[in-house]
Amino acid sequence: MDPALDPAQPAPAIRVRGLRKLYGDKPAVDRLDLDVPRGCFFGFLGPNGAGKTTTIRMLTGLAQPTAGSIQLLGLSLPEQALQIKCRIGVVPEESLLFERLTGGEFLRFVGRMYGLDRSTAAARAGELLEFFQLDGAPRKLIADYSKGMRKRLMMAAALIHRPELFLMDEPFEGVDAVGARMMKDLLLDQVRQGATIFLTSHVLEVVERLCDRVAILNQGRLVMEAAVRDLRNGAETLEDVFVRLVGAARSPDKLDWLG
Amino acid sequence: MSPLWPLPALLWAQWRSFVNLRAGESRAGRLLPAALALVWYALWTSLALGALVLLSKPARAELAVLLPWGLMSVFLYWQLAPVLAASLGASLDFRKLRIYPVPESRLFAAEVLLRLATGPEMALVLTGAALGLLRNPAVPAWAPLTALPLYVLFNLLAAAGMRGLLERAFTYRWVREALALALVLIAAAPQVLVLRGPSGYLPLLRLHGPSIYWPWVSFGRLAVGWFGPQDWVLAALWSTAAYLFGRWQFGRSLRFEPAAARPQAPVRPRRSMGGERRLRLPSAPLPDPLGAILEKELRSLARSPRFRLVFLMGFSFGFLIWAPLARRPGGFSENYPVLVSVYALLLLAEVIFWNMFGFDRAAASLWFLAPVSFRYVLAGKNLAGAVLVTAEVTVVLAVCALLGVPLHPLKILEAYGVALTLCLYLLAAGNLSSLRFPRPVNPEHSWSRASAGRLQILLLLLYPALGAPVGLAYLARWALDSEAVFFALLAGAAAGGVVFYRASLAGAVRLADRRKEFFVRSLSEGGGPLLTQ
Repeated sequence: MDPALDPAQPAPAIRVRGLRKLYGDKPAVDRLDLDVPRGCFFGFLGPNGAGKTTTIRMLTGLAQPTAGSIQLLGLSLPEQALQIKCRIGVVPEESLLFERLTGGEFLRFVGRMYGLDRSTAAARAGELLEFFQLDGAPRKLIADYSKGMRKRLMMAAALIHRPELFLMDEPFEGVDAVGARMMKDLLLDQVRQGATIFLTSHVLEVVERLCDRVAILNQGRLVMEAAVRDLRNGAETLEDVFVRLVGAARSPDKLDWLG
Repeated sequence: MSPLWPLPALLWAQWRSFVNLRAGESRAGRLLPAALALVWYALWTSLALGALVLLSKPARAELAVLLPWGLMSVFLYWQLAPVLAASLGASLDFRKLRIYPVPESRLFAAEVLLRLATGPEMALVLTGAALGLLRNPAVPAWAPLTALPLYVLFNLLAAAGMRGLLERAFTYRWVREALALALVLIAAAPQVLVLRGPSGYLPLLRLHGPSIYWPWVSFGRLAVGWFGPQDWVLAALWSTAAYLFGRWQFGRSLRFEPAAARPQAPVRPRRSMGGERRLRLPSAPLPDPLGAILEKELRSLARSPRFRLVFLMGFSFGFLIWAPLARRPGGFSENYPVLVSVYALLLLAEVIFWNMFGFDRAAASLWFLAPVSFRYVLAGKNLAGAVLVTAEVTVVLAVCALLGVPLHPLKILEAYGVALTLCLYLLAAGNLSSLRFPRPVNPEHSWSRASAGRLQILLLLLYPALGAPVGLAYLARWALDSEAVFFALLAGAAAGGVVFYRASLAGAVRLADRRKEFFVRSLSEGGGPLLTQ
């Protein structure tokens, strides 16, 4: 029996069937089928414009699919959107930060949006600010934050309500090495505690090191999905597979004036 | 969970955003806006007091005619205020809240309440009106206490919808620019009224009062207690319509995807070949890097909505605002083209003189990375300024010719001469101010201030000083009644401008070297292209 259909098995963290998104006539995501098991660290890769961000936007309810179905944690989107949102943490690529708040004010606000009482929201906000090393300038507005600080703040906001599923679009982009290491350790710890992480990244080494499974999207279509362990057993690295599947090798001959 | 959740959190976030908007500024930077706010609210308080006094008079029939006009003005203001508030960043973007588990109905309730915060002036005026009606012995007390709060709710619901609608429309650049220009031209409407004379319009207003089907008429009649059953029906219908409109537009805005609104067709060349040639023409005879810098500046500015607005204003708003003077006897009409040209130059000043690196923002660091003397950079930008001033004066004169304004050849020479001489002085001062007070500016924002607050105050002193040499030429013409003396002194002023310009250019180059770090850091703050918003 297909484990996906076995009622004794918990539903996968993410189940997507025939997902499609058209901008005009152009498909940004084209008939995507994907299952992400619970407790999995899942890397979602693809070149620029492949449809990764559009997929995450659809999974988080920020964009309406043109066709197809989405289930997160066994709940259907958009029908059970509110229950889903209570249980997921999102680090989007675009800034969903209110620029005229300080980091602490924003975290307290987000905590209250997830239904935490004021004192819990304030306490968790303080701890998260300290953990992410954002407590150095408590009066600094988000408008004055660097890109790395913004990503760290979004990560902190995604954690404040203890979600079961994280959807993250380039979470390490612009973050310094120390901050990135801190974030990676935290995410691995979350996975050990049973959370599921779905992230996109351009840094293949990071994905190869952190993720259990990877999928590669190219021009809106899924071109590969595999366990990282299986890839390691093969002759190719993830980078080799990625370049083979999505990028025609370019010869530097055309720039002969460089030689 | 509280039944009001998450309204307190949303209102708190809005309040903190508003407080923080001012808190980050320096004491000096806060002083001017605080003084302006004081004057602004004093004005609205006096209007509210005026409404109180006017509506206390016991003539119900007159009130029923008068009040709808006031309520209509309140409606118009309330619908436009949210758009301006959103552009100032003092309003929450509800699309950012979609990732949180909040039902849409709660978000809509918060949005409706926040509309109250974006139109406090109207709340003030309506409070004055309500107090006036309460003092009026001819009006039953329950009438204003019922009708005016309902009218406020009607306005808030409509404003919530209007904000959503306009916000989506504003994702299209041409809509933003057209509306910005329309608002500017509306600001010149009083000048047109002066031209026609109030006697031409007021009888029309009196004869053709607003139709009884308009909401302000129904609510106005209800508020003075002089109504029929149809007024209740109409008020209820309008309120329901406002709710449905508000909810519909709010929902659409919440789910709006700017990426889907962008055209997906292959990108066409931005300009026709003629337009391309026009942009390349001024730089064609110049060697690089001067030619390259000039071409880059002309292209960037031509594509900047903020620049386009002030350029268009020069020969549209400028015409209207000075139109009453053109009709005066005693020589003003023949000086009209010169006056409009100088006014257009002043409109351009903030964009092309005072903060000329503002649009470059963080990319301004390129000027220090490229193997080019900073003298060329400034000269290239200054040449672009001079070319654009010449173009503006040419358009002003062309519009004058089209409208039949007398154009004597000497006046054409005067318009170019005065504008370009003033341009020399402004460029000289602008080179220094651009390096001393750099401030990043988003070229997409048609309205935001381009130069720093301290510079704005300094300009009050600078303008008369920089205009003095040209003013001297005019003084001589007035005193001696001689065109020859005027043009001789204008030529002298131009020569002085060249000397001043050369000296300031050398100073600006030294200043750029000394203040390089501050300059780049200032232009990289806030509005820099590296940030996501």
